[in-house]
Order: sequence, then structure tokens, then C-alpha cells
Amino acid sequence: MIFSTLEHILTHISFSIVSIVITLHFITLLGNETIKPYDSSEKGMIATFLCLTGLLMTRWIYSGHFPLSDLYESLIFLSWSFSLIHIVPYFKIRKNDLTTITASSTIFTQGFATSGLLNEIHKPTILVPALQSEWLIMHVSMMILSYAALLCGSLLSVALLVITFRKIFYSSKSNNLLNESFSFGEIQYKNERNKIFQKTSFFSDKNYYKAQFIQQLDYWSYRVISLGFIFLTIGILSGAVWANEAWGSYWSWDPKETWAFITWIVFAIYLHTRTKKNLQGANSAIVATLGFLIIWICYFGVNLLGIGLHSYGSFTLTYS
Amino acid sequence: METLLTLNPLKPQPHFFKYPNSRTYTPVTNNNNCRGLFCPVSCKLSSQPSKDTTKNKVVVPGAAPSLSEDNEPPAVVESRSKNTAGVVVRRLSKRVLSFLANLPLALGEMFTIAGLMALGTAIDQGEKPEYYFQKYPEDNPILGFFTWRWILTLGFDHMFSSPVFLGTLVLLAASLMACTYTTQIPMVKVARRWSFLHSANTIRKLEFSDSLPKASIQDLGVILSGSGYEVFLKGPSLYAFKGLAGRFAPIGVHIALLLIMGGGTYSAIGSFKGSVTVPQGLNFVMGDVLGPNGFLSTPTEAFNTEVHVNRFYMDYYDSGEVSQFHTDLSLFDIDGKEVMRKTISVNDPLRYEGVTIYQTDWSISALQILKDDEGPYNLAVAPLTVNGDKKLYGSFLPVGNADSTNVKGISMLLRDLQSVVLYDEEGKFAGVRRPNSKLPIEINGTKIEIVDAIGSSGLDMKTDPGVPIVYAGFGALMLTTCISYLSHTQIWALQDGTTVVVGGKTNRAKIEFPDEMNRVLDRVPEINEPSDVICG
Repeated sequence: MIFSTLEHILTHISFSIVSIVITLHFITLLGNETIKPYDSSEKGMIATFLCLTGLLMTRWIYSGHFPLSDLYESLIFLSWSFSLIHIVPYFKIRKNDLTTITASSTIFTQGFATSGLLNEIHKPTILVPALQSEWLIMHVSMMILSYAALLCGSLLSVALLVITFRKIFYSSKSNNLLNESFSFGEIQYKNERNKIFQKTSFFSDKNYYKAQFIQQLDYWSYRVISLGFIFLTIGILSGAVWANEAWGSYWSWDPKETWAFITWIVFAIYLHTRTKKNLQGANSAIVATLGFLIIWICYFGVNLLGIGLHSYGSFTLTYS
Repeated sequence: METLLTLNPLKPQPHFFKYPNSRTYTPVTNNNNCRGLFCPVSCKLSSQPSKDTTKNKVVVPGAAPSLSEDNEPPAVVESRSKNTAGVVVRRLSKRVLSFLANLPLALGEMFTIAGLMALGTAIDQGEKPEYYFQKYPEDNPILGFFTWRWILTLGFDHMFSSPVFLGTLVLLAASLMACTYTTQIPMVKVARRWSFLHSANTIRKLEFSDSLPKASIQDLGVILSGSGYEVFLKGPSLYAFKGLAGRFAPIGVHIALLLIMGGGTYSAIGSFKGSVTVPQGLNFVMGDVLGPNGFLSTPTEAFNTEVHVNRFYMDYYDSGEVSQFHTDLSLFDIDGKEVMRKTISVNDPLRYEGVTIYQTDWSISALQILKDDEGPYNLAVAPLTVNGDKKLYGSFLPVGNADSTNVKGISMLLRDLQSVVLYDEEGKFAGVRRPNSKLPIEINGTKIEIVDAIGSSGLDMKTDPGVPIVYAGFGALMLTTCISYLSHTQIWALQDGTTVVVGGKTNRAKIEFPDEMNRVLDRVPEINEPSDVICG
């Protein structure tokens, strides 16, 4: 009884704090950048992190197993990972561009998890024999952490693409002569890809900051995705070793396994496109966007099928 | 990838890097670093257009890192041997190598593999051809052209062992090897070289650069080595680097991938596997169950071992759900001597001489009952198919004339080995009994006592020679992927009078680099007395 009320309280606290934080972030983005709301939003995210940690610990203690046995628990773990990714750079670099994205992701996953759609699986359940292994902790937590990091990085790339193409679209519209507009747009597009600043009168301060912002997004996206890639590798390989210990086959082309491998390949393609400078910028961002979609297929899409070795994560949408 | 350092055209060039895939410009430094009188300007222009990459080859002298001076890569020498066939082969292999090491080709292969795998999950695998005739009919093709002919001719019904898929994998492996040989290894050789920069202008043109107006280069060296850099001082110039392992690690990643692929191939062609359901008390011989998987599979001595299931039992939660199931196994060799005894459960297999026995499933084989105090009789139990994944087993005890057409009897249903539900001749619920409870039940005049429910153990057996190779590849991959996250940072500095000009670049951690450099430079002490410079 204590457990369920405690869990209830923690869930609702974290949900409300994150909504407040999101509103604050949007206010700072749209309005003036004042320090006060930013600082309190950071404190709010720390409070959310602590709440979610408390939630996971309570579930762990009460159910006796690590809280990662079904879809609901993995969603809570995912929002916890988002808040973790939000907090860690905060201690090294005070202000960064990740904040909006991680905060929004946390609230969306937390909201989805606690929403009425998945009500019947909120209660902690027992662990089936196949999941009673120490590998559960390593494999599933690594996979969820990697999903969180890769999703953040891909969202940053999506933001980069949006800003880049909005810029080109608007500046190619704002010119009078037809030839000039075409070549201007071309030059500007090339500039985006080469990131050279030319001292022409077409560029104002605003464009400079925007271009620098795009470069920042590019670098952040690269670093976060490479971190997520490491976690994904470890997660997939620990899953393979676990499968070999439990069923005798380290790879059985299960749909979930195959889609995780496809995700791994797509992000490997992303990392390789960044080795060549003329492919950087927009091209690698397109690959990362593709990766974003594939992660969702891997995480949710396969579970909807409900077949294969990973059927623990399947669920049915009921409207209660 | 590497930067081509922009060089001051007036001074003689101290060194000259040229790599395949060379980059031709430097990005902007942030302009918050005004120290003293110097405010580095934040504009850089591109210097050289990018050249065609496949023709340039880096030929690096020697193996150990050395101070490099003017270094022109010598021309690739064609062998003047009399054997023209050798020349042709070498030229051909060079062309093939450069074709395979092409990055867009490798990316295309990776995309193809990803696409084929996605298709493999969308199309149901391993079904009979009739299934595909029905699901992908010719008169109503998906996307206008996709019918069962596509699937069966291209082998998409067994996608993950089809020639198309395996061929692309082989091509990718070849590309991996070619890329490692032609691109990565030379890059590492070049990165290992260290070189000093003797011109302050060159240093200022680096990605990050700064000046310390009153400082000594020795202090900088000490602080850098305290921060984990390897520092080299030669006269007034300094070179420091950190994180060189981050350059080697991608080679390790490729090699680990090749190991995994090789191990996987060996598994696919040289392993044995089989599965069996053995009732408690019975036994089987390993060789009868294990079937070969490929053409390199050879049976070993261990295949003559006899496996005896001593006992099969299950654990339950308080709610009644199955928590774990165990089998007590004994292994006897060909002479009948017991060589091993172990109780296995899920996630805890038995390993003996290369053969591994896994507990994967369970079933109920028989029900032992006493009828009217006679017996015990063994009733066969059969699995019943029910919607969902809960198991249900049933048995039937005929009462009265067993040969008549309308046989009536007592039905017994079991979900697991805990309890039996009994129904009378009309199908009405009669009662629940636990095996071994010694409590009889009276149904329509017949006295039934459930003595025992005998389970059977579902075992999977496997022998796989490729597993050690694959595990080694896994470990190497995990380790090298982590290491390749490290960023290779290089710092150059020059003592220019009382000013120290510092510049650096890094290949991965570009965001944190200026902050890290600023923190390091903040710690360099400022020298106020001119005599301090002489003392060092």
C-alpha cells in the first residue's frame, strides 16, 4: 500500500515538474533570455531526475527484480535516461543546446508512460524464468540508454535540418533578380556545407550567429550519437551473449534483434559520413533523421507485432 | 579526419601532410579568447581545392615516430621485373583494392544490408511455397510488381541465408579489409609522427589558438603533462598530444567486425544442434539428437554420451505462476560410468566437452493415479491448444465399456505440476487435487487418487566451434568502440620572446576543446620579472 502511494506521488511530481520546466524553456526561447527562469528550470530538471530515480528504486525494492521487465518500466527508464543525459553535460558545460530537446523528450515519454493508454500494466509483475538473469540489468539498461542518447542526437540533427533548409528557403526568396537568387541560394547552400564565412554584404550578424548555431548543433549531435552508438554496441553484444547462455544461439534473426542491428548499421553509416568533409552538415543530418525513425520502429513497432523472443515488451492499446 | 595545416607561403614548410580524403580548410575559432594584446581574428579562407583522393598514396618512411623534416612522398614505383604477368596482377590488385576501399561503396553496401534485413522481417521466413503463393499473389501484386516469384527466386523466404544477403556480407567484409589496409593504417602512421612548428603564424592559423603574453613554455609543458598530455620540448617549440588511442581504435573496430564475421561463418558451417523433450526418468544419446548444420560439422567423441533425466521439477511464485524449472541430469559415457551430474535451469546450462545442454521448455508427460486403490496406472497426458501462451494439458480416464462408441470417463486438466482439476462423466467440475497429497476423490462411484504428475524436460543441445572466436570479436568490438570515443588532441606552442603562442586541434571533441584549453592556459603562471624567463 505504501509502495503504490509512493509510486503514485513520485510519478505525478516528476510529471508536473517537467511540464513546468518545459513551459519555462519555451518562455526563455520565445522571450528574452533571462537567467532566473533558466536557473530554476535546471533545478526543476534535477528534481525530476531525483524523482524518477526514486520511482525506479521503489519499484526495484518492491518487486524484487530490476525494474526493466515490461514496456511500462522500460518507458520510465527511458525518461530517466533522458533526464540523466540532460544533467550530465550541465555539470561540465553550464549552458548547452541539448536542454530543450532532452527536457521535452523526458516529458513526452513520462507522459506517455503514465497516460491512460497503458493503465493495466502499471503494476509490477513477476519475472518469467527466461528473464531471471544478471544479464537483464546490463543488456536492457544499455539498450534503453542508447535509445535515449541516439534519439537526442537525431533530434538535434532534425533541428539542424529544419534550420538549414528554412534559411535557404527564406534567403532564396528574398532576392529580386532571378539569376542572382539562384546563384545566391547555391552559394549560401555551399556555405552551409563548407562553413566558410565570406565577407560579403549579404550576411548580417544574425546569419553569423545562426550559422554558428548550426555548427554547434552539428558537433553536439555528433558527440551524443557517438556516445549512444557505444551504448548500442554494448547492448546488442550483451544481448547476444545472454542469448547464447540461455538458448544456445547468439543470433537468431529475431525481429527485434534484426531491427537493433539495422539501427546499428544506420548509425555506423552516420559516423562514416562524417569522415568525409564534403558529406558533413546536411547529409549526415539526413542519415541521423532516418536513424530517428528506425529507432522508433525498433522500440515500438516490433513490440506491436508481439512475436519472437522479445515478446515481453508487447502491449495492446486499450481505452479505459 | 585530418586537417591539412594551412601554411605560410613565405616561410619554408616544416612538414607536409598529404592523405587520402584530405580536408582543405579550417573552421572558425571562437573569438572570446582575447588575452593581453592579441585578439585572434576569426576568419579563415579555404586554401586548396580538394584533390582526387584515390590517386594519392601516402608512403611513410620507417616505423617509429621521428622528427620529420621536408618530406615529399616518393612516387609509387612500378616494378620493373621481367615477369609481366606479375606486373599485371599487382596493378589489378591495386585497382581492386582502391575500388573496394571506396567509402560511398561501403556505405551503399551497408544500406543494402540494412534494407535486406528490414525486408527479411517484413516477409515471413521459412514458410512453405504455398504460403507465399497465397500471400503475394500474381494477380494482385504489392507495389505493382512484387509477387511470390520475386520472393522465391531471390531467396527472400530464407533471407538470412540467401545468396543475395550472404554475398553482400562478403562484399562488405572485403571492403572492410581493403579500407583498413589502404586508408586506416597509413592514417595512423601519419598521426603518430610528431612534428614541431617553428612559426608563430602557423600556430595562429590552427583551429584553436591563443597567446600568453608573459609566460614560459616550460611552465606550459609542465601543466600540460599534468593534464594528461605527452609533451615534447625542443628549444623554443613544444608539441603535446593526448588520446592517440582514439586513432588506433577504428582499426580495432574493423578487425573485431571481421573476427565476428569469421566466427559466425565458422558457426554456420561447423555446428550441431538439436532439441528433445525427455520425460522424467528416461534417457537419450547425444548423437541421436544432434544434427549437423553445415558441411564442416564433424561429430566428436562426446556424441556417444548418454544423458539421463533423473528428475524434473518446477518452482512457483506465491501467485501460482511458474518461477523456474529445473532438470537434474546425469551424463554417462560409453562404458556406463557417470561422468557428470548437474541440475540445470533456464539461464544455467550444462557444458560437457564442447556440447552444451540448455533448459528451454517443459511439458507434462504422464499422470500416475490409483483407481479404486488399484494401480498405479500411468495415464498419458497431451497438450491442449488454448488461445494465448498459457499451457494446458489434459488426460482422460474411461469409465465403463472402453470399446463402445460413446466412451464416457473422467477428464483431468493440468496447467502445471501443482494441481489437477477433475471433471466427471458429464463434464461437470468435480474437484481439485494435488499430486502426492494422498487425498482421494470420489467421482460417479470411482475412487481416484492422484499419485504423481510426471513432467518432461525440454532440452536444447548445441555444439558450436565458432563461439570462442565470436566472443573474442564481441569483447574486442566493445572495447575498441569505447576507445574510439577518445579524441586525439594535438597542441603546438612556440616561445616568441616573452610571449608563448599556443595552438591546437582535436578531431572529435570540438565543442569541449576550447573550454578545456582555456582551463589549461588559465593555470599557466604569469611571469612578471624579466629575469624569470632566463631562469626558466
